[in-house]
Amino acid sequence: MISIEDVSFGYSGEHGTLHDVTLKIRDGECILLCGESGCGKTTVTKLMNGLVPHFTDGCALEGRVSAEGLAVAETELYELAKRVGSVFQNPKSQFFNLDSDSELAFGLENQGAAPDFIRTRLKETVRNLRMEALQGRSIFSMSGGEKQMLAFASVYAMDPAVFVLDEPTANLDEDAVKRLREQLRFLKRQGHTVVIAEHRLWFLDGLIDRAVFLKNGRIERSFSGGEFFSLPERERIDMGLRALTPPDGALPPALPCGAARGLSVEGLACGFGKGEPVLRALSFSAIPGEILAVSGKNGIGKTTLTRCLCGLMRERAGTVRLNGRRLNRKQRAKAAFCVMQDVNHQLFSDSVFGECLLAAPGCTDERVKEVLNRFDLLPFQEKHPMALSGGQKQRLAIATAVLSGKELLIFDEPTSGLDYAHMMEVSSVVRRLADEGRVVLIVTHDREFLRCACDRELELREEGL
Amino acid sequence: MSMQKHLRIDPRTGLLLLVMSNIIAFTQNSFSVETGWILFLCLLAAFCGCGRAAARWLLAFCLLLGLQYYVFPVSAKIIATSFSIFANYTRRMFPCLIVGMLMVKKTPLRDLIVGLRKWHFPQKLIVAVSVTLRYFPAIREEAGYIRDAMKLRKIHGLQKVECLVIPLMISATGTAEELAAAAVTRGIENPAPKTSVVELRLTAADGACILAGVLFTAASCLIR
Repeated sequence: MISIEDVSFGYSGEHGTLHDVTLKIRDGECILLCGESGCGKTTVTKLMNGLVPHFTDGCALEGRVSAEGLAVAETELYELAKRVGSVFQNPKSQFFNLDSDSELAFGLENQGAAPDFIRTRLKETVRNLRMEALQGRSIFSMSGGEKQMLAFASVYAMDPAVFVLDEPTANLDEDAVKRLREQLRFLKRQGHTVVIAEHRLWFLDGLIDRAVFLKNGRIERSFSGGEFFSLPERERIDMGLRALTPPDGALPPALPCGAARGLSVEGLACGFGKGEPVLRALSFSAIPGEILAVSGKNGIGKTTLTRCLCGLMRERAGTVRLNGRRLNRKQRAKAAFCVMQDVNHQLFSDSVFGECLLAAPGCTDERVKEVLNRFDLLPFQEKHPMALSGGQKQRLAIATAVLSGKELLIFDEPTSGLDYAHMMEVSSVVRRLADEGRVVLIVTHDREFLRCACDRELELREEGL
Repeated sequence: MSMQKHLRIDPRTGLLLLVMSNIIAFTQNSFSVETGWILFLCLLAAFCGCGRAAARWLLAFCLLLGLQYYVFPVSAKIIATSFSIFANYTRRMFPCLIVGMLMVKKTPLRDLIVGLRKWHFPQKLIVAVSVTLRYFPAIREEAGYIRDAMKLRKIHGLQKVECLVIPLMISATGTAEELAAAAVTRGIENPAPKTSVVELRLTAADGACILAGVLFTAASCLIR
């Protein structure tokens, strides 16, 4: 049982993040917290796992929160950790160990459980969650989906009564999302209480008992699971929520190689060192004005293709042409740009304006301002790039690419963890780039985004294409 | 092909061998002690499953010896004097490097932590060591992404250093925050004595290694 009573909260002194939130969650209930980015749903999860107020210095908290009979504000985090388990959004930063076995045991070892008990419990965990394939692996050999599963399993090993998950699917492909769905179903059957804050919603159909909709830090509406998943399309969009039904339907396939304009890839093969090729005999075209989605399971070679097209990696065989002209690796690095998944890696300057000049040193101030204006960044030109929001950073990276005259733009998972409004914003930006005659490729496993933003789809499969 | 399991040495044995290698490096004056110690360590590495690496170390050692005894005496004085000190000290470092390689390759971080805990190292020091070791590979991964980003942006020369360091630091602060949140919600602050699934036991092989190490150390201190 979790009870939140009249809670108002702000991270820095004054209230502002949450207002008068009251929520009771019964044992064994499965609850969805939804709403736009910044609506306060992550903060509500932190109320339950104790990160608020224990991990937020200088915050202002009013009201009472109790979880499993413990008053959260007065209980040590390590006591709370035994009853409330937390899975976070970013699979990269949830590990304390470098191998999966150590990580699974970590929570129980911290509690000082007997080694024999830990061993039994770990066997159970591996069996119940069917994660034999993840045993004895190095963290660095695991995909995002596998890491997220390991994070989930290492919390499960501690056997908490309550599971709190904050955007667990942000970095998962469709198969991994389906697996998570099965695991949540299993938790429910075992009588655990589950609280999940999410943007992607369709996979929770039939799983949740209640949906709580937050807006500007208040609980606006509350639905039963059935009511929520039969919301009319119009209303769902007005609320700023993403699709409630699994995205279906296919896009037309990518054009065959040989296009006279745009990108033409002919018989491309890539691989690392002396190993088996990751890609072999891959051929397709992408023409200006159209947006081509690149999809396929984790680990199928999407990133390898991106790196090869951007000239970060040499091809083993095959040809890459742009507007009919054959490009070698160095020429590709000049003509192509990749907007990375973590855009923080590619912003280097101390101001938005400086970032643009760094990318295109010969550019006139007028030209820079014109481009910044086109991407709605002009008011922020003096700001530090790291002070921008995620979407603004993404647009700044695109602006630098446009300024340096790149013709081929590749986006690597541009919508991971985005709400409906931001997803639509990204799709309008990429549409504009395509309309201006650039070749745009989007690597994504977010099928909802793929359906609404792209024109054609290149699905990478086991045997090339 | 033999599928037998490789020898495993206890992380504590590894640490002791490392300390002794250091002592030997700075005390030894006898060629036979040095060669014997290196042969012993290479043999140990081979038994632990690093046969190829061991062979490579041996080859490098012979090359250095060849340089010192056959090439330098007949080459120009300037080359001989400037490189012989270098060669000599590199040779002295060999045992430490071999043990270091063996530990990095074959000792999981967790075993090392359990070993240090058994020796009653302060918990604070252990956490610092483990977090540092945990971070190196993560930073290497991050730096790879940033280098890729720079290649797409025509960044050259000294600018590169600045452009690498700043995003690294920014992402490190973010990661540190998230990592800490994940750790406290798994009860890392629990004052209960920590347990471990890994049970370390010193085996006969460990005893033999330590004995050999002590003998070589004594020999290197005594034989002048």
